[in-house]
Amino acid sequence: MIQEFKKVWKQYSITMLWLLGLLWPLLGIHPDGTLSFEKTVTVWSYILAGTFVCLVIYIINSSGHLKIFTEPVVGTTRKFSGIAQAMPSWIWLCGLFVCAIIYPLLTGRYATDVAINVLLYICLGLGLNVVVGLAGMLDLGYIAFYGVGAYTYAILNVNYGLAFWFCLPFSAFFACIAGCIVGYPTLRMRGDYLAIVTLGFGEIVRIILNNWMTLTNGPNGILGIKPIGILLPVMENGFTFEMFWVKKLAVFYYFALALAIIAIIAVKRLNFSRIGRAWESIREDETAAELMGVNTFNYKLLAYAMGAIFAGLAGALFAARMRFVSPESFTFLESVMVLCMVVLGGMGSIPGIVLGVIALIALPEVFRELESYRMLVFGSTMVIMMLFRPAGLVPAKRVGMRSEERE
Amino acid sequence: MDSFIQQLINGITLGGIYALIALGYTMVYGVIQLINFAHGEFFAAGGYVGVIFLSFFTGLGYMESYPVLCLTASFLLAMGYCAYLAVGVEKIAYKPLRKEARLAVLLSALGVSIFLSNGLMLTQGVYDKAYPSELFQGGFHFGNVTVGYLQILIVSLTATLLVALNLLVFKTKIGMAMRATAQDKTMSALVAIGSNRIISLTFAIGAGLAAAAGIMVGLYYGSVRYDMGFVPGIKAFSAAVLGGIGNITGAMLGGLIIGMVEIFGAGYISGEYKDVFAFIILIAVLYFKPTGIMGENIDDTRV
Amino acid sequence: MSKRSLSTVLMGMLVIPFMISMVSAETLKIGSMSPLTGPYASDGTDIKNGVLTAIEVFEQTEGPIPGYDKIELFPQDTVCDPRQAVAAANKLINLKVVGVIGAYCSSSTIPSSETLDEANIIMITPASTNEQVTDRGLPYMFRMCGRDDDQAPAAARFMKESLNAKTIFIVDDKTTYSQGLADGVSKNAKALGMDVVTHDHVNQGDKDFSAVLTKVKAANPDIFYMSLQGYSPAALMCIQAKRMGITSQIVTQDATFQPKFMEVAKDAAEGVYLTYGFTDPTTPEYKAFEEKYVPKYGKIAAYATYAYDSTIALLKAIKAAGSTDPDKIKAELMKLDFNGASKHVKFKENGDSGSSYIAFKVVNGEFVPYWDPEKGLIK
Repeated sequence: MIQEFKKVWKQYSITMLWLLGLLWPLLGIHPDGTLSFEKTVTVWSYILAGTFVCLVIYIINSSGHLKIFTEPVVGTTRKFSGIAQAMPSWIWLCGLFVCAIIYPLLTGRYATDVAINVLLYICLGLGLNVVVGLAGMLDLGYIAFYGVGAYTYAILNVNYGLAFWFCLPFSAFFACIAGCIVGYPTLRMRGDYLAIVTLGFGEIVRIILNNWMTLTNGPNGILGIKPIGILLPVMENGFTFEMFWVKKLAVFYYFALALAIIAIIAVKRLNFSRIGRAWESIREDETAAELMGVNTFNYKLLAYAMGAIFAGLAGALFAARMRFVSPESFTFLESVMVLCMVVLGGMGSIPGIVLGVIALIALPEVFRELESYRMLVFGSTMVIMMLFRPAGLVPAKRVGMRSEERE
Repeated sequence: MDSFIQQLINGITLGGIYALIALGYTMVYGVIQLINFAHGEFFAAGGYVGVIFLSFFTGLGYMESYPVLCLTASFLLAMGYCAYLAVGVEKIAYKPLRKEARLAVLLSALGVSIFLSNGLMLTQGVYDKAYPSELFQGGFHFGNVTVGYLQILIVSLTATLLVALNLLVFKTKIGMAMRATAQDKTMSALVAIGSNRIISLTFAIGAGLAAAAGIMVGLYYGSVRYDMGFVPGIKAFSAAVLGGIGNITGAMLGGLIIGMVEIFGAGYISGEYKDVFAFIILIAVLYFKPTGIMGENIDDTRV
Repeated sequence: MSKRSLSTVLMGMLVIPFMISMVSAETLKIGSMSPLTGPYASDGTDIKNGVLTAIEVFEQTEGPIPGYDKIELFPQDTVCDPRQAVAAANKLINLKVVGVIGAYCSSSTIPSSETLDEANIIMITPASTNEQVTDRGLPYMFRMCGRDDDQAPAAARFMKESLNAKTIFIVDDKTTYSQGLADGVSKNAKALGMDVVTHDHVNQGDKDFSAVLTKVKAANPDIFYMSLQGYSPAALMCIQAKRMGITSQIVTQDATFQPKFMEVAKDAAEGVYLTYGFTDPTTPEYKAFEEKYVPKYGKIAAYATYAYDSTIALLKAIKAAGSTDPDKIKAELMKLDFNGASKHVKFKENGDSGSSYIAFKVVNGEFVPYWDPEKGLIK
């Protein structure tokens, strides 16, 4: 343990001194021409104490002194994973499915609300995964398609009174069109050039949503969107149908769950299809893929369209759930958040993305207790997570190997 | 006609500001191919440290007697502070990820950006901080056209830094080492270039430039705010890409174009769609020249 | 650290929020919703501080509410994002709060009020001036601040009657609040026979307004009406307008009623007019608020006063009702008739409390009451 500590104490103290130097000008220099040290040192010593505790726990853990506590935990998890591997995976999936089904019955509104957000973002994350994880194109304006989907349902419903189920394909369709419009001019670009152009498209869509008063009602947003309606058979006076509006969160949860499951299955099928293989080959080496006879142009456009469709569906559901849409929901920061979910979870890996979404939606909610400190903690958590798991929480298994990895 | 010339001057100034931020962006990108999302926050931190020192000097009473000296000192201190900040950030958040996928560093950079802007908010308060306004206000008047001293200062500073950076990168040993590191880290290590040191240095220079931009913007607009780094960060990134990312002269050009398009779009077509015009120009240029105006043809870069 | 223990820690973190909801039964819980992070953090913090001050003052003057030991506030961050606002509302429902003060942005207030309405929770907004907030007919929605369609006619009349304006140049920054108000001013000004030269827009988050200001200079209107969300862009625009040498009178609105406005804009703020609900700073109620607020949080800003009054109104109603039944509290809220810090509080049938907008002028770094729609110039 002492050995371990010797290894890191120098770096640690340099970092802490660096932090002190950073904090002092911000806290200790006052406009009235006085200098103070008290506040800086207080804040700094809190941070010092906090990080030191973390460091000590980390060192004790890595040197094996925490075995008394971790061993039973690790032992049981290992035992369970042993059982898990013995059991066929469908049992696991069934278990998960049952958990997901009974979840809203066991928890309160707030937890259900967070869960709905998680499910919608799973759909978004999987869609973006098609573009970024499978086809390897960095997209910083993905939320625009989500916005297009949401606004399509909102406008069709409020202006023309069309039902949710009728609008849903339109939401997907318009998002898909938007995807193709973005995709077409960007196909020649690669890497960071692509990133900035998609960012530009995302911003353009948001600005249009915010300014086209006659269509989108601008910053006021669209109010009075009908929730999802389903026809339920009623047995009382003979056999009739009655419209049932899904207003309760717990009921809505199941629709979001259905969408997320459909998205998971679809992306899994896509991934292992011919198309998915073509995308992966484009991601790994576009020139080589083209030489091998993959029509890169069509496949890249298809990737955009597919990704956009998922976002459009999620968007329609989002509008039905909020019953209100406004451009503030579709900012650049949201695009970045979805991208973070994909990268943090592990690009190309479905369980990874699910975990990434849970982490990034739930973390700010967990940190809600911290009030104004919550985004600060959130930012540092992101960095720490990346430092510990740079390939994502659950990295995708690669098919084959890259040439440089073989060296 | 007067208002056209005025808009032209506005455009050059705004372009100069974007270019000033974009220079740092492009420097860092040129060496380690990282979109440093935290660059906008270095810019904001520079603005804050600038105002802290300026008001400190005002409080001491030195401001009346030696204004230029105080301003220069604040500039240097803010640039030093940001360089110090950036070197630490690079060591903590970027260096361990250098061998990983590029998106991992990008995410880490985003985390740093969120952390820094909220850190500024918590230490400096949620309200705007005002710059001492007596500095360099006023300007030349030609009929109805006004050219502020600060506008001249911004544009000339940008131009000076552009020349200085080009000299640094192309005429000095350090610049040569930077270019070598940018091309191949392993190879440059073989010829005894400490790539870690060079990367740290690049970060320090980039952040120093951002800090200078932060103070200029603070002086020009009169105040700083904790979230001021975000929007200019995106615009500067666009400017850097438009000019061909990694290319110093390109960043300057890109900044000027974006600034001009925004001002003329707002001035003559429609204020609310000005960002749309800027992005459309960006997309159009990249459609015809996928590597930016002055960018060289790059090989495949993976995400 | 092993991968497994990291994930254990992560899972542990996810469980925490669902366990926190256990608080002892003797506290009366109320919630507040406002942006504590993000671009509107300053206004959101003012609201939170106002509510905290109100609880403190109420406990001192009116004593504890029967059946409860103390009043606890649960401040929630909305970031001005509808999704997070709804999440915050649901969180407050889970916490079983009796009433909610908030939110700031109308686009957060509207969806979150629908959520709170499902759980029959009283909501009083101190800052959302959009008409739709109370016009939707939600039974438990109240508003302490004024409405856009109250403020716009007052502003238009002020420009016509007091400033004798003939031409107006309007700029808004495309938010629900600023645009609604700017449209209202434009309509009312036209009805009063003034000429709206141009109605231009800038975007949220802009810092450089030189393009639009050059247009203003070329048009040279009598009045330059700025409708911007928050004091920060307003201060920037004033500085740049002065630098450009614009001589038109600047008129703006209640979001600028923040002492920081003068601190940032300095002499560029001098002579700016703004419309804001009349608040008499000499009343004992205002003094009581000022005494507690100023030493802790600094100068009083626009929404802090309204947040304070909203909280006092809510607590008074709860005490009078003697229960947490929303209908009883609502009945008591409607009966309320008291002098608040900002104004005389009396809720109307639709939940609005009305307000009398008057014009203020910035003189020597202070907001000075300048013109009243009934009485004309105030000396």
